[in-house]
Amino acid sequence: MNWLFAAQPRGRIAWLRTIGYLFIPVDIFFATPWVAGHADVPGRLYHALTVSRLLHLPVPGPVSVRISMWLLLAASLAAASGLRPRLLGTTVALLYAWWMVIAMSYGKVDHDRYAYLILLAVLPTVGRAGHSDKAVDTESGWALRAVQLGVVATYFLAAVAKLRFGGWNWATGSTLTSAILRRGTFLADPLVGYPAIMVALQWGILIFELASPLLLVGGRVTKWFVAFLYGFHAASYLGIKIAFWPHLVALLAFVPLERLTKAWTWRPGHIDFPRLSHPRQAATTVGEAR
Amino acid sequence: MTTLTLLGSRYSQDEAFPFGPMSQFAFRTVPDGRIDVASLRGTVEGSTAEAPLSTASFGLRRAEVEGSMGRMAADPTLLAELVHAREKIRRDLPRLSYVRIVQTNYLLKAGRRVGLRESTVAQWRR
Repeated sequence: MNWLFAAQPRGRIAWLRTIGYLFIPVDIFFATPWVAGHADVPGRLYHALTVSRLLHLPVPGPVSVRISMWLLLAASLAAASGLRPRLLGTTVALLYAWWMVIAMSYGKVDHDRYAYLILLAVLPTVGRAGHSDKAVDTESGWALRAVQLGVVATYFLAAVAKLRFGGWNWATGSTLTSAILRRGTFLADPLVGYPAIMVALQWGILIFELASPLLLVGGRVTKWFVAFLYGFHAASYLGIKIAFWPHLVALLAFVPLERLTKAWTWRPGHIDFPRLSHPRQAATTVGEAR
Repeated sequence: MTTLTLLGSRYSQDEAFPFGPMSQFAFRTVPDGRIDVASLRGTVEGSTAEAPLSTASFGLRRAEVEGSMGRMAADPTLLAELVHAREKIRRDLPRLSYVRIVQTNYLLKAGRRVGLRESTVAQWRR
């Protein structure tokens, strides 16, 4: 239990707020613009989710989708400021959850934002946090751990789903060939002629997804696993034009974002890059530039 | 939360979002089976040439068209409603006189693509 609440840097919460909330306008307009496109889709194509039935949520319509979009946009920009984190953060979490109901209620459900939804849900549990906050506390620790667990769950449960629907034989099938035939780029298309490569990649995916709890080990293991995951998602994007954008934001919960503050600390006439190996030399260069 | 997620992954379906199974790409494609891809094609008013149409211009993703095309085949008025929606969403595009949903089946043998078959699932004419 202690592990769940182990202290983690508060500065990272501030950075996750900035990045996580500013991602929302990017999501609305660039990453998943099709959500807003549901505004004019005939109501007869609406498939209610369980949550919508339980809460008696209305069928989205042209007016409600547009109003929701602008409210979400305004709330996310306000929340990105870091002011009133509990109030604005809760508002964003609720509005984004409704936005996801609009997204997933037309016959196709994505699984790229489970951890991001957790991020939005837990950010308001932490009070004010500054980017240069040096504190390491349990409040931030629990929130970060929750998001980290959400990231692990996304991978691990993706493997569980493969075993549930496809069995161990999932890996010997042609699922990647299907993905490439359906949406491959010129980089991935040639691979379709080599089923053995596809099977090897499928085993690789299944194994790394099952190994995802290793992300929680910490230290070098976490660092290299996170780097591998960003590489994997970059390769997927190049090959089949799919990027789990919100998930990639949530994955930042493992990254020491708080160090960005140190790197970006600016004082008049002096730029402090703490990780340079020859500080004196760096100072001279800056001095000369002046 | 944790319990719902775990139970959802084991027992529920997509409707349980966000507690459903992470089932994207989880279904096994049989190496001697086939891969289905839906697309929309149509003709604009004043032309006879058929061209591919983006599903986004209808407010839907391709997978959403695939999820609903059985209903559109059974009830063509649904496709008519979608065309109507497109006229609202993309006022900049020329009006359509004909639309059809095409199902393309890529046939596989030992994981390799060996053939292709196309059929019309649903169509609409102004």
